[in-house]
Amino acid sequence: MTDAGESDEALLGRYARGNAAAFEVLYRRHEMRIWRYLERNVGNRATADELMQEVWFAVARDAVRYEPTARFTTWLFTIARNRMIDSNRISRRQVSLEAIGYEAESVLAQLTTEPSVGPLAAAVVRDQASALARALCQLPLEQRDAFLLQIEGDLSIEEVATITRSSFETTKSRLRYARLKLRELLSEYA
Amino acid sequence: MNKVPPDQDPADDVDAQYRRASALDPSRPGEAVRRAVLAHAAQLAAERASAVAGRLKSRRTAHPTWWRPAIFGTLAAAGLAALVIAPQLLTPRAPPVAGSAAIAPAADNLASAPATPPPAVSAEITARPPAPVHSANLPSYSARARSKTNEPTAAPAVEATPLAQTAGARAADTGAAVAGVSAARQRMAGNPTAATSVSAAPRADTNPAAAFRHAAEVGDLAALATLVETQADIDARDSAGRTALMIATLHGEADAVAALLAYGADPNAADANGTTPLQAATAGDHPAIAAALRRHGAR
Repeated sequence: MTDAGESDEALLGRYARGNAAAFEVLYRRHEMRIWRYLERNVGNRATADELMQEVWFAVARDAVRYEPTARFTTWLFTIARNRMIDSNRISRRQVSLEAIGYEAESVLAQLTTEPSVGPLAAAVVRDQASALARALCQLPLEQRDAFLLQIEGDLSIEEVATITRSSFETTKSRLRYARLKLRELLSEYA
Repeated sequence: MNKVPPDQDPADDVDAQYRRASALDPSRPGEAVRRAVLAHAAQLAAERASAVAGRLKSRRTAHPTWWRPAIFGTLAAAGLAALVIAPQLLTPRAPPVAGSAAIAPAADNLASAPATPPPAVSAEITARPPAPVHSANLPSYSARARSKTNEPTAAPAVEATPLAQTAGARAADTGAAVAGVSAARQRMAGNPTAATSVSAAPRADTNPAAAFRHAAEVGDLAALATLVETQADIDARDSAGRTALMIATLHGEADAVAALLAYGADPNAADANGTTPLQAATAGDHPAIAAALRRHGAR
């Protein structure tokens, strides 16, 4: 079986038996999803990098203890969320609209200086990314967490409820209100 | 009125917008993070691989495998020996002729008058004192051989001494074997006389135990039914320790086996080598007999 077709669980099992290449495939497959989940929750790249490293270190360390009773992505995002809560970064750093906006602007400034991107495209990118960042920052913490878990982890409502230790109905409600709010906010920037 | 009702799942377009914006978002984890994570994972993998190899090595050291060839060699030798010996143990053999002063004359007399009906033989035998074990096992083939080859002197010679008795038995056994082979050849050649002489032989046998076993051997259910009335011990054994049930089993006489079991024969009566009827049936590839034996408690 090729790496592309091999399941996450099988790759982790191979890594647990000493195959480092399997871990690299797994890492590259989920790198951006975990990164976005962390970065958009904590609102800070340096902190997200730090958490990212901790999460994947934990995955590497606990691979031998992983039992495929749940999907790998559920396990992975549970680790990510727990790391985020353990470090207490969310509560210390109340994600501020200004901070997110500043980061987004700085990244976009780099992007628009690239010669391959024209001024019009750069403007569109800037508008959309900025709008998204601002909209996410305006969501309540629980709603943002639930939404990012579901959309980045491609998780079901049940899985999000399990990870956040909430009831199914509560989770469903959080997700619905998060989308309503995002829809409203994004329409303003559209 | 443009607002989405609360019950309605709000907007897949939100997800689509989010994904579009995410795709355009250039922010990525630092390259240093990636290197650190992959280096750490590779180090752990190497440690695990070496730990697994170490465990395997220590397991091999703790449990040396020198005994494996020895065990396999012993098993192979035992299997070879079993292949050589088993056919000799399980193949029905003509038991040695037992010299009997009391029976030999009767057999000789019967040879001159082979049409003696079985009831007369039974009456004659029942009036006689119990014979020694070896004489009780007089094989029907031997009596038949003597009658066919007309060697009446063989039996009187047995009477003299135990040594002479043994020699006589050997001579009679040889004669029986010759006669048996001759009869078999004639049967194969389609000689009806020979076949008739074989089937008539049990009736000429003066020993009820031997006649009983012969009836079992050839599957003569009528003779079995008759002889079981006069046969005191249904499990009487020949010189090889075989009962009528064992002999019927060895010859694949399923009906005789069923009849003997119905008469109360011991299904576990082993021969002198310790072979049970069930083992003989299994070795002889007689599944129906084996099943019947098991139904009657054979082990």
